Amino acid sequence: MRGFTGESVAAAALAGGAQVMSRSLKYHRPRSAFCLEGHCGGCLMRIEGIPNRRACQTPCHAGLRAESQNAFPSAELDVLGAVDFVFARGLDHHTLMTGSAIMNLMANRVVRQLSGLGTLPAVAASELPQVGEHHVDVAVIGGGAAGLCAARATAAAGARTLLIDDQLAFGGSLRADPRHGAPAADKAHAQAQAAGVTFLPRTTAIGYFPEDAGGVLVAASETQLHRVVAREWIWATGGYPVLLPVADNDRPSVLALRAAGRLLEEHGILAGGVICVLTHPRMREDAEATAAALRDAGAEVTVIPAAEAQAVLGRRGVRGVRLGDGRRVDCDTVLMASVPSPATEGARQQGCDVVLDETGGGFCLVVDEHGRTTVPHVWGCGDVCGYRGPGAAAAHGQAVGEHVARALASELSKAVP
Amino acid sequence: MAKKIILCRCEDVTLSDLEHTVAQGYCDIEEVKRYTGFGTGPCQGKECLGPIALQLARLTGAPPASLRPFTSRPPLSPTPLRLLANDPAAHRFADDPAAPAAPAAPAAPAASADAAATGGVPSKGS
Repeated sequence: MRGFTGESVAAAALAGGAQVMSRSLKYHRPRSAFCLEGHCGGCLMRIEGIPNRRACQTPCHAGLRAESQNAFPSAELDVLGAVDFVFARGLDHHTLMTGSAIMNLMANRVVRQLSGLGTLPAVAASELPQVGEHHVDVAVIGGGAAGLCAARATAAAGARTLLIDDQLAFGGSLRADPRHGAPAADKAHAQAQAAGVTFLPRTTAIGYFPEDAGGVLVAASETQLHRVVAREWIWATGGYPVLLPVADNDRPSVLALRAAGRLLEEHGILAGGVICVLTHPRMREDAEATAAALRDAGAEVTVIPAAEAQAVLGRRGVRGVRLGDGRRVDCDTVLMASVPSPATEGARQQGCDVVLDETGGGFCLVVDEHGRTTVPHVWGCGDVCGYRGPGAAAAHGQAVGEHVARALASELSKAVP
Repeated sequence: MAKKIILCRCEDVTLSDLEHTVAQGYCDIEEVKRYTGFGTGPCQGKECLGPIALQLARLTGAPPASLRPFTSRPPLSPTPLRLLANDPAAHRFADDPAAPAAPAAPAAPAASADAAATGGVPSKGS
């Protein structure tokens, strides 16, 4: 496989025409990258002998060894894929009621072999890295449009500000949106850097522990664990692209709208030649903007309301989309423009309230007009409070960052009479 | 044909699984999580919690604002166990007689110290 140094393994694999990267846990359905943001679990591969690594967040280098997992003999041709057909109407693992005693016997014998993800590494870990400690005024979680602008505002006001981001490059969905793109992301990052923000790149917040020394956020990079203690916390974690409820919506070459935007803007890779975009009504504008950029790059693109689509056609790839009225749209790639689901799991561990709202994309972080959550010293900005898109998220981040800086200044003036 | 509307890719939970679960009387998100296993895979609910909650509201007729998400637990993302093996917080409890025994010295890491962990996903061991 060929790829550029620093490009993600998933992007290189997609550009090289690889379709199936892994098989699903239960039905061994063929799977591939979907979100390209390190969250969906679609591109988990065994990389350099370590299982369950996210191919979309692992940069290429010469001689890198990437293998598909969870399949025999290979992800492309997995004999266990028969499970998907044998249990065409599903398999209830509580009762294994398959309607046939022989089937039940077979299911019980093989179920142990079918479950689990990947196999352990051949050798033990050779070194245990030291844990990093960070004590700051403001910790910002998420380095997209909202997080970069919020961090810039607090750092510019003199607060020691740490920004944690899990992606290969800062900028979040700015990099996936042709209306903004990599130049806008690089500019926002440079401005935050100039204001004095400290960065933990390619580092994921993995948990908040309230019982530990007044509350510690733990974050992990590929090589190191970090413990973060802050006076003020700002959640700017955005949202996750999700599947639209269409039959066989999990096929390889079904990608998130942002994944196709990211491939194009970041890597100069066209997701497909003939593309069908299924869009939620709320995402129509985003879908049309990405469709226009894909057309400019040479693809044939049709945008269809998701409600009109019934099924994705194809098995190890995409052949088309079947519509509710019986018509068929031929294509080699399907893009899903769903409302991103707010990434509230970290804020929820801090005790913040959320509310389920369809136009917001799922459980949205509850904040007041200044960005305050229901927990003191914890704030939220951008898409984590409900989808608004990268342009509006940047403005929200800036405003909330300024409020946090003011709150911090008044707190410090009270502490020192 | 094996046509399935997938709601949770990690655990292969389908819309018909959710309908079956609601028909069994499980209408709360925590109950649905325990019955179907959704949200317990590598993504830990990032991709499925919102969509399943919205479908659940539609199927049960409950007002969306009345539904609560399931409890969020660390680690939020697949994390190599090797990184957790050297946590100074673990050593701080070493002097506390009420605390569990301190972990073994990191000189001899467990064979599985490079495996990735998220809640509820057993790795096929060798």
